[in-house]
Amino acid sequence: MPLVVLDPTYSEETADWPLASAPRWLAGRTVGLLDNGKKNSDRLLDFMGELLLREYGVGRVVRARKGDPSRPASAEVMAIFRECDALFTGVGD
Amino acid sequence: MEARKPLLRSPTYRVADAFDANELFFRRGWTDGLPIIPPTEPAVASFLEEVGIAPDEIIGVEPVRGRRVTAEKAAINAVMAGCRPEYFPVVVAAIRAMCHPEFNLHGCTISTGGSAILLIVNGPVRRRLGMNATHNVMGNGNRANATIGRAVRLIIINVLGGVPGDLDRSTLGHPGKFTFCIAEDEEDSPWLPLAQERGIPPGGSAVTAFACVSPHQVMNEWTRDPRELLDTYVAAMRANMLTYSIYPGNYVLVIPKQHREVFVAAGWQKSHIREYVFERARVRRGEWRRVGKASLVGEENADRECCALSSPDDLLVVAAGGPAGGFGAVIPPWFGNKSMAVTKPIPA
Repeated sequence: MPLVVLDPTYSEETADWPLASAPRWLAGRTVGLLDNGKKNSDRLLDFMGELLLREYGVGRVVRARKGDPSRPASAEVMAIFRECDALFTGVGD
Repeated sequence: MEARKPLLRSPTYRVADAFDANELFFRRGWTDGLPIIPPTEPAVASFLEEVGIAPDEIIGVEPVRGRRVTAEKAAINAVMAGCRPEYFPVVVAAIRAMCHPEFNLHGCTISTGGSAILLIVNGPVRRRLGMNATHNVMGNGNRANATIGRAVRLIIINVLGGVPGDLDRSTLGHPGKFTFCIAEDEEDSPWLPLAQERGIPPGGSAVTAFACVSPHQVMNEWTRDPRELLDTYVAAMRANMLTYSIYPGNYVLVIPKQHREVFVAAGWQKSHIREYVFERARVRRGEWRRVGKASLVGEENADRECCALSSPDDLLVVAAGGPAGGFGAVIPPWFGNKSMAVTKPIPA
């Protein structure tokens, strides 16, 4: 017998969390690097920061570290990135 | 896809039969790998009527990504899991517990560590639903236990995006990620039920959610001394601290009838168990040297004493298991105190 079944998945994601448009260039821009607190994440982001300055002409790199990789960054930490044009966050391990 | 129904807002799909529905759901990655009950509108509506809440009512918000679990989506997944409508209030309460910030739902469901969510049900609802608290309590065989736990996992997959290899990055996973729900054997225990110890009034029903790693089964049938019995449980906790995670958090002890008789004969309440375990479930950080973790031990911290529990109250003692056999269980936390157990009432 034919059935009509309901979709079990979340369907409001796009409306709730629209993606920011990606910057079209990075030269001269301020880029944030958010260390998620995992072991070696600082090394990964050190490398990325150097690469962004050297290869992509980024004007300034701003760094901060989350206290706990399993929880969101605090408002204080996010405030550090207020002037940034783009933000990278990285894992380590 | 058909037009939206007036009552329920989820998109609908027309399928030939239940087998076809299963193929659709498997193809779209909407199951846990097992077949599901097709979530039809009448079935979902009957679940919502059971709890008396509107389909668009938000029963929980996952605090990190802000995803909202609506009653409608929870009910769809509970139908899929094989729940009966009368089980749904337990599922709703479990979601409310899991969405409490202390539970850290995002962390414990995406972690590389293999974490499952254990649900512990207390109160009259257990008997009303025919839940199992005795033989094979952590295993198969009871519809309510099995499908309530499964419903929670399906909600994590379908509503919160906890799909293995996608948002769920667990290295090994956990067998309890299919389902992990037990009831406490309140009828055959003189102790205060877990939920009442955690603030639920006597006569009330509640569910406690706990993000945990694998249960460690312990065996001791050769003593009548409560201290010796607990030394066996403590040894398993210490082993977990050395081989898995040294950080303090909640631990669950599942204590079967045969062990409970030893404690009761000695006049021990759950509080005595908690105090004893709190004092003894400790290791020195330097002990990591003999389990292959020497690189994490420095001269300055080798003598530091690490406790499994931050306080005696962090030990959750649950009376459950079959009437014979000296087999209990230690269920360690996912990762120290990054997720704490949360208890929520189940409306009568």
